[in-house]
Amino acid sequence: MNIQTRRYDLHAASGVRGFWMDLWAGLSMVELWRTFAWDEIQQRYRRSMLGVSWILLSFLMFVGGVSFFFSALSGWELQSFIVYVALGYAAFIFISGNFIDGCQVFTASHVWIKALSLPYSVHVYRSLFRSLLIFALQMAVVIPLMIWSGWVPGLVTLLVVPALAIYVLNAVAVQYLLGLIAARFQDVGHLVTSITRLLIFVTPILWVREGLDGARAFAADLNPLTHYVEIFRAPLLGEMPRMTSWAVVFGVTLGIWVAAALCAAVFRRRLPYWL
Amino acid sequence: MSHILVQDLAVTYPLFNRARSSLDTQTAPLDAGEDFGGTPRLVRDKRGYIKGVRALDGVSFEVNEGERIGLVGANGSGKTTLLQVLAGIYPPEEGSVTIEGWTTSLVNINLGMRSEATGNENITLRGLASGRKRVEVESRRAEIAAFAGLGEFIDLPVETYSAGMRMRLNFAIATAFEPDILILDEWLSAGDAKFRKAASERMSTFVGRAGILVLASHSASLLRANCTRGFWLHDGRMRMDGPMDEVLSAYESSGNSLTPEQG
Repeated sequence: MNIQTRRYDLHAASGVRGFWMDLWAGLSMVELWRTFAWDEIQQRYRRSMLGVSWILLSFLMFVGGVSFFFSALSGWELQSFIVYVALGYAAFIFISGNFIDGCQVFTASHVWIKALSLPYSVHVYRSLFRSLLIFALQMAVVIPLMIWSGWVPGLVTLLVVPALAIYVLNAVAVQYLLGLIAARFQDVGHLVTSITRLLIFVTPILWVREGLDGARAFAADLNPLTHYVEIFRAPLLGEMPRMTSWAVVFGVTLGIWVAAALCAAVFRRRLPYWL
Repeated sequence: MSHILVQDLAVTYPLFNRARSSLDTQTAPLDAGEDFGGTPRLVRDKRGYIKGVRALDGVSFEVNEGERIGLVGANGSGKTTLLQVLAGIYPPEEGSVTIEGWTTSLVNINLGMRSEATGNENITLRGLASGRKRVEVESRRAEIAAFAGLGEFIDLPVETYSAGMRMRLNFAIATAFEPDILILDEWLSAGDAKFRKAASERMSTFVGRAGILVLASHSASLLRANCTRGFWLHDGRMRMDGPMDEVLSAYESSGNSLTPEQG
């Protein structure tokens, strides 16, 4: 028989240590969040004829449509511009998805949070895993596109690995943080959705930063997402990401983790009362 | 091995819409009787706005293995909150709760299920969520389905189930994995006679294994049949802790009524 001892009081599992314990305990329930995420994806498309292929169709429709019009503005060849847009857009969907999913990560799971004593991070991992599955599906169509446009992998391609690791690391902290804040202040969800809608236009996805004059290129650099997209996209286009981009990404990641840890340390235990 | 120790537990639910009581706090009598109006359990800030509701206050007790606790009290006396704290859902605001043993709780039948998913999928999710391995879930699946008695409904989404069917599935899942501590809210008494009998049988085999049962109910017969020790909660405080029969008669003689005998 399994023996579990749990102690609930003001001090147990509170503070930053409680946050780490929650993250760790949730991570070990990998079967649970994997099943959850997979169920949710299937559920969303269960009653449509094309099913999960809608993820790919809507992605290709966007990339195709946008590339057709915007390639003229960029001065690039259509083929390479399609790959540029596809990579940038896949990265953008993943990143911005974390903002939108993050705001609902706990509120949408209130049925579970108020029924079972699970680590709250389970809901974050489940949401993150779902985005990763969608991201992987999209990459599965982007890679053939890249090969078609004459892509040859090189050493610089390997930089994609740390970039993806950074994406995942950020996603956990962003979703946990936004999930807590949005559970307490419902306006945050609306605010984040509005901002995210704007982000696609101010991030170099539909346009190329290098094609801009000095002032505008500088303004684009003020947007952290420019750098997040670049560390993933540049290696796959055979270019070295700028050191500035890596530096900004590291700094922002650290900031987000500190904010998430502090916020979780203070407010995590209030979460079930807020839902 | 199962054990529960609760010391000076207090829980307050926060209110965010800042309701102002329609009863004037200055003129209304402090305790307006049995109703909720004017009870001292509403926590107010300086300007008289209601900040929260104190659901539990100064609750302490210890439960040893093999004990079966029956929880009685009027609506709003804190029964469900106490069960949720014991289940680890709400962290205590003051005091401490120590639980030894594998705990399963059934507090609200509408929670803890994905209603778009089938009964079978929910068995998987709930099994994994209570910390079991996939193989364990698979080995119990047939038994859970049989106990729930849903027939082919087990492959339909839970949203097509009646309340009774949901309850059967929930109870079957919760008890299948042999928890050390079982926490049940009053909805159990909503089942039909056949299900109540099966549930009672299952609870007695469970308690035979030195588990702890905590059951909240308004049904005197259910409590008498399943519980040895009674807690009477009143306004978030422990009014009485003693043998089930004594607690029931004290509760009833103070003007409270329970659902009389039933099948």
